[in-house]
Amino acid sequence: MHTLAETPLYDREANRRGYELNRMAMSLRDPANRAAFAADEPAYLDRFHLSEPQRRAVLARDWREMIRLGGNLFYILKISALDPIPLTAIGAAQAGMPHDAFLADRLGKRPARSAEGQAHG
Amino acid sequence: MARLVGGCGTSHVPSIGIAIDRGMTGTPDWKPFFDGYVPARAWMAERRPDIAVVIFNDHGNAFFLDRVPTLALGVAEEYQMIDEGWGPRPLPPFPGAADFAWHLADRLVEDHFDPLICREIEVDHGLQVPMELFFGRPDRWPVRVVPIFVNTIQYPIPTPERMWQLGLALRRAIDAWPTEERIVVLGTGGLSHQLQGSRAGFLNREADQRWLAEIGPHPERYRAMSREDYVETFGSEGAELIMWLVMRAAMDAEVRTVMRHYHAPASMTGAGMVVLENAA
Repeated sequence: MHTLAETPLYDREANRRGYELNRMAMSLRDPANRAAFAADEPAYLDRFHLSEPQRRAVLARDWREMIRLGGNLFYILKISALDPIPLTAIGAAQAGMPHDAFLADRLGKRPARSAEGQAHG
Repeated sequence: MARLVGGCGTSHVPSIGIAIDRGMTGTPDWKPFFDGYVPARAWMAERRPDIAVVIFNDHGNAFFLDRVPTLALGVAEEYQMIDEGWGPRPLPPFPGAADFAWHLADRLVEDHFDPLICREIEVDHGLQVPMELFFGRPDRWPVRVVPIFVNTIQYPIPTPERMWQLGLALRRAIDAWPTEERIVVLGTGGLSHQLQGSRAGFLNREADQRWLAEIGPHPERYRAMSREDYVETFGSEGAELIMWLVMRAAMDAEVRTVMRHYHAPASMTGAGMVVLENAA
């Protein structure tokens, strides 16, 4: 399928690169796994076969890099439940923009309201 | 035969549910969005459906990438809220219309659709939020549900034309259901949004407004669009709008647009709603 350059779709190539990263993120649906992740992130990540760049991106909460390495937003978003961040901040990181500028320029929101982010979605 | 009382389209943005959970529906950011659904809930209460068929996509909750059904159909007696990572939301479980759902399974397969049949499955915000928007937060839901899950995450996703054909098959199943039950169809997802890649934050208010105005009277052009067209026009996650085509095709060719509503952005999404009734 023809795709836009700035618009990653979760296709077979993304699946090949990102399956294990997404599998790790999916595991955080389980409260016991969330507790284990929160207690010791590096040890928790050892349970999965992440590449070194994927591992670094998760530990650094580098959302742009996680997507580039095959992460899909709906899975990696579960990492943000442990360490709350507004969805718009994740979007801003991917756009490579400061959060306020992203809210104003992309979403058309006035800066005065930018503090009122939702932790989820 | 059962009666199709209407077709509704709505966004299912998760932050809508969070805003309800946190009592934020009256804040300046959210009030204009929620006010638009007040007449929609009045319409729904007046139409008194017995069954709601809800077409939505799971967002990496009930299904992981280890097995991805293009199409799945719930035939459960009850649907619980899934834990998406933040803990399950405090909603009463949805009663399932298992009898109609099994009939729908039979009719879909006879019509050459082959869904995964789900006897036990939990539902995420894709179904929860539309139900809250149209039925509020009752202690018990006044309607039984039939969930239809469409894969819109991993490519290949189904084509718009396939969604249209599914809607036609759904209508044939409704017309062949030998009860006096009243059925409403909810198509969910969209409108424009993109959550991934450097084009994240893409919104297309003009295309969204056109969609809401035209999906009733002029759906043909949306049926003919390619998946690429959807991604380009509405953003990568905005391609969820193909699921509204199931609802639209289940309705008669001639419909009345009873109401519509638009508010952007809800989180990062152009949020829209439409209510359709058959004209005849």
